[in-house]
Amino acid sequence: MNFKGTLPTLILEALLHEPTHGYRIAQSIKARSHGVLDFKEGTLYPALHKLEQDGLVDSYDAVEKGRQRRYYRITDGGRATLAKDRAEWTALSRAVTTILGEA
Amino acid sequence: MTLTDWLYQATRKLSRESAEQVRREIQEHYESARDTALACGSTSEQADRQALAALGDPRSANFEYRRVLLTAAEAKILRGGNWEAKAFCAHGTLRRALTAIPALALIAAIAFFATGRIELAKIALAAVVMTGLLFAAPLLPVYTAPRARIFRLVKWAAIAGAFALIMGADAMKMSWLIFSSLWPIAWIEWTRTSIRRKLPVARWPKQLYL
Repeated sequence: MNFKGTLPTLILEALLHEPTHGYRIAQSIKARSHGVLDFKEGTLYPALHKLEQDGLVDSYDAVEKGRQRRYYRITDGGRATLAKDRAEWTALSRAVTTILGEA
Repeated sequence: MTLTDWLYQATRKLSRESAEQVRREIQEHYESARDTALACGSTSEQADRQALAALGDPRSANFEYRRVLLTAAEAKILRGGNWEAKAFCAHGTLRRALTAIPALALIAAIAFFATGRIELAKIALAAVVMTGLLFAAPLLPVYTAPRARIFRLVKWAAIAGAFALIMGADAMKMSWLIFSSLWPIAWIEWTRTSIRRKLPVARWPKQLYL
């Protein structure tokens, strides 16, 4: 399913409860959507870099199971953006569902 | 296709530093995906294939990476600008000589006005603006993003004004000449805008403010 425009919002949601690394973010999105949102993982990192440039996430290095990893965590700005995006998405999906339900 | 081929395509035209970053994060991701596939019972070959397939098209990734990470061309402009700035700041005599040019042009403009040679005075005044922007700008206290935005606005208005001053009523007629002579500056400015988007303000060299 094409959800390119919503990938940054989904990443922010995946980071809402704890900092994590790119691979786990990708797996979290796929698992929580029951495989419907099966995106190409090579495009995840450019989206993460963009979020970092916009100050919505920050990153740090940590070691997990003996392997160096880059962890990402949501910032206060990221939380505010996620709340705004969630409200907009709810309104949009409600409107589309209403229209499609009329057909 | 192997991971090396994938990385080669995904890092095309990126700066050395950006390419290294991409290689590191994709390698990390690939190994995690491969470990998961192996844990699920895949053979080593299947695990490689699955991990690579999950990354998707390297050209799409390259396109996305070039929008957010420094490209080789942008890194070259940054290096070039750093070299100019260092040369300008490190040599006191050169700095004084270059900053004297707009002052001399201003004196010439006043002298031409005083003697009634208006056309020459206009050219000298345009030279004040252009050389002032070029040579005196690095000495201005422009070191915050809002000040930089104001400075750049003033700079482009001043450049347009200088051309209008020289060309007078013919400015519109000669616009092709103005655009063709300004396009290298415009291209560098465009590239700098892209760099500003990609680099955090804390990492901006002085030239990015101007």
